[in-house]
Formats: sequence, C-alpha cells, structure tokens
Amino acid sequence: MRPWIAALLVTLLSSFPCPEAPAQETWKQAVGPWSWSFPRDHGAHPEFRTEWWYFTGNLRDAAGNRYGYQLTFFRQGVRLRASDPRNPWSLRDLYPAHFAITDARTGAFRYAEQISRAGPGLAGAAKGGLNVWNLGWSAKMEGSLIRIRAQHGGMGLELELVPRKPLVLHGDRGLSRKGPGRGQASYYYSLTDLATKGTIRTPGGGAPVSVEGASWLDREFSSNALTKDQEGWDWFSIRLSDGRELMLYFLRKKDGTVEQESSGTLVEADGRSLGLKTGEIGVEVLATWTSQRSGGRYPGRWRIRVPAAGIDLTIAPLVAEQELITEGSTGVTYWEGAVDGRGASAGSPVTCEGYVEMTGYAGSLGGQF
Amino acid sequence: MRTVTRSFLRHLYRRRSLSLLQLLGIACGVAAVVGMALSARSALSSFSQAVEFLRGKSTHTLERLAGPMDESILRQLAADPAVVSFAPVLERRLKLGNGDLVRLLGIDPFLDRAIRPELSRVPFERRTSRSFEDSIAFLTDERAVLIEAGLARTLGLATGGSVPTLKGPLRVVGSFANPSGEPLILMDIAHTQKLLGLGGRIDHVDLILDDEGGFASRWREGYRIQSKRQRQDTFGAMVGAFRLNLEALSLMALFVSVFLIYNTAMFAVVSRRRDAGILRSLGASRAEVAGAFLTEIALFGTLGGLAGSLFGFLLSRALTEVIGGTISSLYFFLRTAPMPWSWWVPAAGVAVGLGASLLGSLYPLVELTRTDPAVTLRGRSGSRGNRRRAWIVALAGAGCLIASILLLAFFSKRVYAAFIGVFGFLFGLSLLTGVIMVLAEPLLGRVLASFGGLPGRIAAGNIIRNLGRTGVAVAAFMMALSLSIGLGSMIGSFRQSLIWWMGTQLRGDLYVSNASDMEVPEGFYEEIRGIPGVGGVDTYRKAQVTYRGRAIHVAAIQAGVLQRFARFGWVEGGDGHWEAVKRGDVIVSESFARSFGASPGGVVTLEGAKGPVDLRIEGVFYDYSTEHGLVMMDRATYIALYGDRTINSIAVFIDPSEPRKRRILDDIRARAAARGLPVSTREQFHRNILEVFDSTFAVTRSMRIMAIVIAFFGITGALLTLFIERRRDFGILRALGFSTGQVARMTLLEALGMGIVSFALSSGVGTVLAVLLIRVINLRSFNWTVFYFPDWQPYAVTAATALAASLGAALYPIWKVHRTYPQMQIREE
Amino acid sequence: MNTPVVRVVDLWKEYRENGQAVTQALRGANLEVAPGEVVALFGKSGSGKTTLLNLLAGLDRPTRGTVEINGRCLEQLGEAGRTELRRSRLGFIFQFFNLLPTLTAYENVFLALELAGRIQPQAARDALERVGLKGKEHRYPHELSGGEQQRVAVARAIVKEPSLILADEPTGNLDTATGDQILQLITERCRQGGTSLLMVTHTPLACRYADRILKMVDGVVTEDEKCR
Repeated sequence: MRPWIAALLVTLLSSFPCPEAPAQETWKQAVGPWSWSFPRDHGAHPEFRTEWWYFTGNLRDAAGNRYGYQLTFFRQGVRLRASDPRNPWSLRDLYPAHFAITDARTGAFRYAEQISRAGPGLAGAAKGGLNVWNLGWSAKMEGSLIRIRAQHGGMGLELELVPRKPLVLHGDRGLSRKGPGRGQASYYYSLTDLATKGTIRTPGGGAPVSVEGASWLDREFSSNALTKDQEGWDWFSIRLSDGRELMLYFLRKKDGTVEQESSGTLVEADGRSLGLKTGEIGVEVLATWTSQRSGGRYPGRWRIRVPAAGIDLTIAPLVAEQELITEGSTGVTYWEGAVDGRGASAGSPVTCEGYVEMTGYAGSLGGQF
Repeated sequence: MRTVTRSFLRHLYRRRSLSLLQLLGIACGVAAVVGMALSARSALSSFSQAVEFLRGKSTHTLERLAGPMDESILRQLAADPAVVSFAPVLERRLKLGNGDLVRLLGIDPFLDRAIRPELSRVPFERRTSRSFEDSIAFLTDERAVLIEAGLARTLGLATGGSVPTLKGPLRVVGSFANPSGEPLILMDIAHTQKLLGLGGRIDHVDLILDDEGGFASRWREGYRIQSKRQRQDTFGAMVGAFRLNLEALSLMALFVSVFLIYNTAMFAVVSRRRDAGILRSLGASRAEVAGAFLTEIALFGTLGGLAGSLFGFLLSRALTEVIGGTISSLYFFLRTAPMPWSWWVPAAGVAVGLGASLLGSLYPLVELTRTDPAVTLRGRSGSRGNRRRAWIVALAGAGCLIASILLLAFFSKRVYAAFIGVFGFLFGLSLLTGVIMVLAEPLLGRVLASFGGLPGRIAAGNIIRNLGRTGVAVAAFMMALSLSIGLGSMIGSFRQSLIWWMGTQLRGDLYVSNASDMEVPEGFYEEIRGIPGVGGVDTYRKAQVTYRGRAIHVAAIQAGVLQRFARFGWVEGGDGHWEAVKRGDVIVSESFARSFGASPGGVVTLEGAKGPVDLRIEGVFYDYSTEHGLVMMDRATYIALYGDRTINSIAVFIDPSEPRKRRILDDIRARAAARGLPVSTREQFHRNILEVFDSTFAVTRSMRIMAIVIAFFGITGALLTLFIERRRDFGILRALGFSTGQVARMTLLEALGMGIVSFALSSGVGTVLAVLLIRVINLRSFNWTVFYFPDWQPYAVTAATALAASLGAALYPIWKVHRTYPQMQIREE
Repeated sequence: MNTPVVRVVDLWKEYRENGQAVTQALRGANLEVAPGEVVALFGKSGSGKTTLLNLLAGLDRPTRGTVEINGRCLEQLGEAGRTELRRSRLGFIFQFFNLLPTLTAYENVFLALELAGRIQPQAARDALERVGLKGKEHRYPHELSGGEQQRVAVARAIVKEPSLILADEPTGNLDTATGDQILQLITERCRQGGTSLLMVTHTPLACRYADRILKMVDGVVTEDEKCR
C-alpha cells in the first residue's frame, strides 16, 4: 500500500505544485472491480500510471541470526506513449527501485536506490507474468517460484520465494480505496506467505550467508490514488506464529484524523481472507523514535488489536534505524523496517514478525525537493 | 635608522623620477613573470577542472578503441558485479548558428545521478509555475536542451528561447550554472542520438567500479578502460606540449625580467659610487656601505615586487582570456576562469623582485666594495678599464656560450635541457654586447656624426665611455628585441610551414564537415561518390588510441584517392608509398616517427578490436596536425582493425579538366546542407586552420609585446640614469657654448645610438634564437620539423620598436635638459 | 708625544693599465708630521699630492713603502684597522666638499660621529656652531653656499676630534675671501684641539697659517723654507 509513490515521482520529475493537475493523456483509473487473471496480472499494467512489486521478508541463518530485507520495483508512467517508440531511451515509464537489508545481530541497516528508464534493456516490467528488472536487480517468476536478486556495494541477496498460500485480494475484490473520490483507489493484492530460501550478503558481513524465512509480496497498480489532504500513512504486514497474517493501513490526514477509507485484511491459516474496516482495528503508539538524519519523529512501538479476531499484539522494530532517504530515486524519506512482537491470537499466545512502513513523518511528502 | 642607511633611502626620494622609473622597471619585470605564470596556471587548471567536471565522480571510463559503441553493452554493464554505477555519454561538438562550437553532452539524467550529481539534477530543478509537460520537457521534447548560464547570457537566451544550430534550432528549457565555467549544452541521450543520427550508439560510459581487476578481465578485448589516474595522465600528455610552451614563455618572461631588474639594480649601485667613496673616507666599512645599498635595493625589490604582482595579477586576467582562447581552439574547451587573488601572488612577486634585484646588484656591489674609495671619490667612473672589463665579461660570455652549445649538443633530447641551453646561449650572447660595442665604436661614431655632427660624435663616445652602464642597458634591450625577432620569425616560419603542409595534404575541392568528432553518414559518402564528374572522395576518420601507454591518433583515409590527388610531403621516399598503403601498410607522421623511434620497414603494433595487429610502416610524412603522433592507414585496414565505420569528414576532389566543376560542387553543397553537414571550400578550410594556428600563438604574441614594454623601461631607465649622472658634463658643455638644442640632439642621438646598436645586435641574436626555437625547441617539444622561412617582417617590427623605444626613452631626459640646462653649472652639487 | 702623527718612508705609487705602469705618482716620498703641527703641501697639478693624501688616509694602497699614522703601519692594520683609523683618528676635507647630498648639514656631521661609534647629537650641533653655521643645521648641501658647504665639511672633520686632518685643496673651489675664512677656521680648530693638519693647497694664503711648508715635485716631498 504505497499510493504516495505516484505523487513522489511527479515531484521528482518537476516540483510540480499540484500533484493532481489534470494529465493531458488519460491513464486508466482504478474504478469498479478488476477481472483478475494470473499470471497475467503479476505482469505490468502500463495503462495505469503507477505500479509496484514490493517484496519484504524476515529471514534467519543457521545460527539463528535474524535479518530483514526489502526489495521494491516501481513503475511510474510518464506518458502513455513514448515520442519515438523505436528508440529505447524515448521516455514512457520510469523505474525506481529500493533495496534494503537489516541485520538484527549487528543492528546494521543499509539501503540502496536506483532509477532508470527502460533504455536498452536497463529496466522494465514484462506484461503477462512477473518479470521485472532494474539495472541488475530483478524479480522473475518461473512456474510457482519467484527468484529475486539484487546487489549493491557489499550487500546483496539471491532468494527463491514459493507461495504457501493463495494470493489475497484486498478491499472489494482487489479494489482498495484510498480516499472518498472516484478513482482514489488502487488494485491491490498480496502474496502474504512466501517460503523463502537463499543467500544474503550484509554490508561488512563478507561472504554470503544462507538464510530461510518468509516473504511478503505486495502488488498494486493505480493512476490517481492520493488526495491532497493526506499527510502520510502507516502500513503493517504481520505474520503470526499461528499461521494467520494481518495487513493494515491507515491514511493520516493533515488535520490529524485517519482517512475513513483506511482498512486491513486478515488472512487465516487456511488462506481464507477477511476484510477489516477502520473501526475494527485499534492501534496504539507506545513509544517514538527520532531520526538523527532526517529529524523525523516516528512511532517506535505499537499495540495492535483486532477484537473481532481475538488479536492483541505488541510489536517493535528489530532495529530502530530503518529509515530510507531516497533523494536519488523517489525523493521520499520513509521508514520501512522489519519488526517482531508477541501477544494473543484467538485467545492463544503467539509471536509475530513482519514489516512496517511509515511515511510523512519527516516533512510533508511534497517537500522533499 | 643609521644615518648611512638614511642617506641612501633619502636618495630614492630626492631622485624620485628616476626612482619611479626604476620601480616601474622592476614592477614591469615582475608583472610579466607573475602575469604569465598565473595565467598559464589558471588556464590549465580551469581546463583540467572542466575535464574533471565532465567526468564527475566516475572512477573509470569505458570506450571502444576507436569510434562509438553499441548501447547494448549497457545491459551487460548493469549486470557486471564490479560496476557500482555507470552512465552512458555522447559527447560531441555542436556548431551554433553564430559559428561557435560548443560541447554537446548527451546524458541520461537518471543514470548520471551517481556520476555527475550536479549536472544530472539540473533537468529536475524546481521551476515554479510550469505545467507538467513543461517540467518534463527535457525528457520528452526532442529538441529540448539545457544550456550553461554563461552561454545563455552570451547568446541572449532565456528559458523558452531557441538556439540556432547547424542541426536546426534547439529549444532552451532551462539554464544551469556550470561550476567549471565551461559552456555546455545538455541534452537527453535519446534526443542527442536522434539529433546526431547516432541511434543505438554511445561514445563512452563513465563508471564507478569497486573491482577494477575483475572488471578489466571481463572487458579486455576491444575496449579501452581508463582509470581516473590514467585519464589525468592522458590529459597531462595531451596538453603537455602546450604547458611546456607556456612554461617556456613564463621562463622567457622571467629571463627578460631578471635582466631588466638586474639592469635597474645595477644602475642604482653604479650611480652611487661617489657617495660610497665619501662614506668610506669618513670611515664607513665596506660592510656598512654594502648594507646600506642592500637595504635600498631590498626596498626597491620589495616595493617593485609588490606593485609588479598587482600589475601581474591584472595582466593575468587579460592573458588568461588569450590562453583560454588558445586552449579552446586546440583542445576544444571554452572559457577559462582567472585565478582568484591569493596572498601567494604578492609573495611570489616580492620573491622575484627581491631575488632579481639582489642578483642584479651582486656584481656591481662586489666591484664597488672592492675598488679603492679613492677611485670612486674621483666622481664618475673613468673610462679607464672599461674596455678591459668588457673583454673579461665577453670571455665569461664565451664560456657561457660554449657550455650552452655543449648542453644543446649532448642533452638536447630533454626539452628542459634544451630550454636551459637556449637561455644560456642568449645570456652568453648578451655578455658579448660590451665588446661588440667597443669594437663598433668608430662605426657608431661615424653613423651618429652623420646624423648630428659633433654632438653625434660625442654621443657615440659617451655610450662607450659609460660602457658599464650602457652595455647592460643595450644587452637588456637587445635581449628583449631578440626575443621579439626570434619569436616572430619562429611563428612566421611555422605559419609558412603550415601553409606548405596544407598545400600537400589538404587539396580537396570541397570539405564536408571538418571537426574530428562530427560524423558524415556513410550513405552520404556513397552518394557523393556516385555523382558523375566527381574525381574522387577521400573519407577521413581520426581516432585517438593508446600506443605504448601514450595517446596517439590513428587516421583512416582512402589511399587510392590520395595517391591521385594529394602530394604528401615525405620525410623519406615519395608518392610510391601509396601502393603499399593500399595493401594494408601504414604511413606515420614525423612526430610519431620521432617520439617512438619508428622508421620505414619497422612495425607498429596496434591493439585492435580482435587483439593486437602488426602493421608495417611504409613511409614517414611531414605533419602538423598532431604532435602526439599519427598513424595513417587505408580505410579498409582501419575498419578491419577496429570495426569502426565512422567518417569524420570527406574531401571531394574534382578533376581540373572537368567542365561542370562548379555545378557539381554546388550540387554537393546542396546535398550536404540538406543533411545539416557543414561544407567548406579548400580556401575556407585552410583559413580555418590558420585561424586556429594564429590563436594558438596569441599568447606568444602577447609575450612579444611584453618583451617590448620591458625593453622600453630598461632603456629609459638606463638613459635617465646616465643623464642624471652627467649633469656636470652638461655644465661643461654649456660652458663650451653648446646650445640647449645641441645638448638635446646629443641626448637623442645617444639614445638612438643605443637603439641602433641594440637592434643591430638583436637582428643577429634574434635570427639565431629563431633557428634555435625552430630546430631545437620545436623539434624537441613537438617532434616535428618546422622549416625556416626568412621573413623581413619581424625585423621591421623590431626596428620600429627599437626606434620608438629609444626615442621615447630620450624624451624625459630632453625635457629635463630643457628645463634645467640654463642653471647647470660646473659643480657637483 | 715624540711619535710623529704621520711618518712616510720611501712611498711609491704607480698606476697601471693592462699590467704596465703608466703613471708614477709617487717616487719615494718621505714625510713626517708632528702632533699639533699644521703643514701645508704645495705642488703643481699632477705632482702626486692627492695620491699622497689618499695613501695617508688608507683610501688607496701604495706600490711600495710604508705609511705610519700615530706610529701604526697602515699596511699592517688591515682593512678593518684602516677603516677604524679613518673613523676615529682621521678627518677629511675635500676641494669639492664631498658632502652627502641627501643628508642635512647636521646629519652630515652627525654621520661622522655615528661612524666613530659616538652617538652625541650635541657634539654635532656644537661643531656646526663652532664653524659658524648655527641655525643652518637642517639645510641640505644644495641649499648652502660653497663656503658654507666647506664649513660643514670642516665641522664634519673636527667633530670627532681626530689626531690628523687631511685637507685636499680646501679652498680650491672658493673665492679668496671665503678661502681665507675657511683656512683660518681650519687651522684655528686644529690648534685648539691639538690636531695635526696636512693641507694640500695651491693658495699662497696657506703660508700664513702653516707651521711648516712642504713642496712636492715629481712625486718627491721636499722642505720649502719660504712661501712663494
């Protein structure tokens, strides 16, 4: 759930005072139900302006050391048609990408960012199936196996991801509302439980380390999702030890209230999913953390309750410092990090792991440039 | 302050017009050195800064051995584990509507972020009140460019304006400040490819690597990888000869300046002999007298140095422009930023002023303290011993000459040794001045007498009688004039040689495009070749490659066409070489042959796209197009070697007997215009080359002017000192019944006599200097033979200068005579 | 006090050019001057008078022979010793005054004291007063008349109370009346201070003031009883 990216790429391209200024060309809007078809919908939807493939995961090596990773491929449409389709440099889409690794043992957190246009095979997203690449980073699905790889400086990963549960469509059959207006929505689905195996290299860690764990893929495409009065949001993806997964997002408005269209999804151990409305979710911030680099003051510990599902969890970051300042690609400063916690689910004690994303805490989103 | 010292310092004020002149003399000398050195430094450093700025943070550069490369390699680079960042670049010159060439940089602003953050951010800079389309125009508008702010100002362009270029108008979507100050046009890589007709190709890739060894092992074949260090070395080698030229000019400035300051300091000492005698008779020790002198001279040197460094700093601002212009025409770079003021400037100026002054006063001071005070008390130094001293000095001069000749003979391979040799030679000759003047006295007397009767003969006598002073003044003046003649003759000969060379190699009737990084589509060549009546079309391709670790050039030509139409100047052999070139042998330039010791029959091994290839050297030809060495081969050989089909320019030859010549040429012109290709006739092409040549020597010409200015001050100071010293003589002359007019004529003739002697000597020395510059310095630093073409012009210019300077120098003393002559008495004080 | 102030024995001086003697200025001159004695030395132009004075002052070096001042041989004194001698024991008065043009009258006098290592401004002022130049201390030489300039030179010579004053045609550049005044001044000051005076001159006026008359002919000094 990252509707902000659209606004930010516009910010990147120009400091455009009003992100929603009417585009000359018309991008397809996220209105009404989408007729889903896979693997086709794993691939690109170039008729929409913004799209991403968002991998996060919690991993362990043989010694039990814990790691988190994030690998994100964005596609941001600039124009519906390139002016010179024969020239690969001719601009239609931009492809930013972010990559981060958290090493819970050393407390190290490193990230890298890239941006490229399609160019002569430099970056792109295939239609018809999951195959995205960006200057040497890539994610590709072969059968039911997804291979992701990325490398930057001393850090890298090469992982194989296999879904253990069917994919989950969020909101109304995949139409996830971000605001009250028409088109203020995205098509949104996730693979919430991907068995993960492979190697990672942490910066300064030297040789690649074999790891295992679970990953989460968020897929979203839209054209016009964010409204002007939204300041930022918080997003949670949590895997509970009893086999359940929980996705929650809250759009924070500038007046301090939470957008009513915020929501969540609960996935049962057997793969069934259940939509959650804002009123069914309770989130309490227990502590805060202030970034030395950006000055942003972020929530640092949470109590999350979904009474209808008997869920009451307290979660906290593995490492406080998991903030990304991405001036070189999307221009956004946000916090995206591995978390863990414990609590109760359906009356039984559970532990949990996952990822949390928080935006809009370090200055307003349009003000990055 | 001791009274002794005070008496000396008060002298400066008492004779303030002379002091001022002496001070100006020192200041001029220092200004020349400081100005020259400072501007040379600032021009070179802003050039290297611009080059470095263009390469940004990249650690390495990847390019084809010759020619552009296919952009598909970028995908492999993206996957290469050693590559941290990479950015493709198209870097060409673009001819603007006003004829200026400006660097056009085609980049991808996204990939460029890691390499050139300042530049790549420009397209995305916040610009208010723009529509979305406007804000991304750089990426979406095929003719959108960003231009450097200075260039925008020069062209009077604002955002939204349009730059006319040979490739059509370009739309300015913004401007940016380039920290290196170089004018630039920035364009998206997609649009640059289209503009230049280079779809799918890039010139080079700037890289940030974290594993150079690993990367090099994967990209060995067919590519050239240059590290930042190697790049700097290449740059250093490229501008090496130019830098040397500037250093030589700075040294010459130093040489002439030291001479002038020496002259000045010597006069200061000599004119105070009597005072020294009095002091000694009163019991002042030698050390005290010497100390007082040194204080005076040190004060002079310091003040002159300070003033000179200020002048020099101002001068450097003007010279930097000139040198910048030279660099621009030679290496394609525009606009040099002058060095900012630094306290090192006056420090260096004072060091030069003080050092040269002390050096200059050393010998006269030693002489002064050594002579018996009784001699000095007799007033002016008598003529006794002058001639003997002149012979002793001449002996030293002869020694210096011999040492210099030995240096030139045995160490001439080293450029710096050659420089020292040339300077030593000049210095040695300057020491002979006194003797030559003594020997020439009767002749001079006759010449001056013919101008002005008795006053003329007295004037000649005066010059010789005061040889201690006039000798040095004439030597300094002669030196400056020789420099002027030598540099002038050298430039003139070089220019004539260049004209001869152009006549041998560049004989086409029409040239399409002539800049080395422009391209003529191969199809256009075929098209022109097919026009009936065209006798031959030569394709020219010049690429920089590395040979034995040094940058050289490889040129591809059509041997068959040149065989028919060109008349190369061969160092060895004749036009029969072309047969072998057609078969795959190469010919090399004289500079190549000299730098690498290559000769016909030898082999040059070039790294080709498929590994090293041995090429047989068939001949050596005269060439002034590059001092780094040129290997010329047939186009077929070149393509087989590098796989590069680029054509930079074509030369069209039409048989002289062809009746439709004019029509055919017009037809070609029209066809080229349709493709946006510049066309020039042979005459225009030759003129362009000469313009570049002339701008190359603009600095040298400035140096000539500086030498003249310095000479002027030298001779004026010398004359003035002489006249002030001889006021008693004027009293005697008056007693004898000389009129003011006669004394003025005598003064004038004395100045003229010194001017004539200086010019006569400098014609000889200047000619020798020209030959040395051509045969030794040029040959050593550029490895090419320049033919000596005698030319009367430098001599005429120098003669006029000598005349003007000596007459100008006499004006003040004459005025002084007119003002004070009636009161002059036969008394000392 | 028996030691003569000046003792010259067999003094020769040749001027050479290109290694050959061209002029023999002195050819075995002998001379003694007693303390406090005023001696006038006559001679034709070119007879070697100025050469003798220069040799006495150690400003020039003899070809042969010895010069003793206050009993000390000049040759043996060395350059430093001769300089020291000039500073403290010798005073000089020239025909052309030889004042430093850039110094005032006072400074010219003070310079001599300063060189002798005596920083006594008052002594310099007194000396000027004694030669009758009170009130003109701060004039430059070119602002003074010839007689006044020579008075400055006299003051410069007597201010350091030397044992010997060497005067080279002190009146040569002055009119008769002024010359007489200057001669009177010099001899008076010498007698007052007990200073010996050796005066090279042309003027018969000198006879009146001299204790002894010497004559120089072809580089040799001879006694001359009567004044011409």
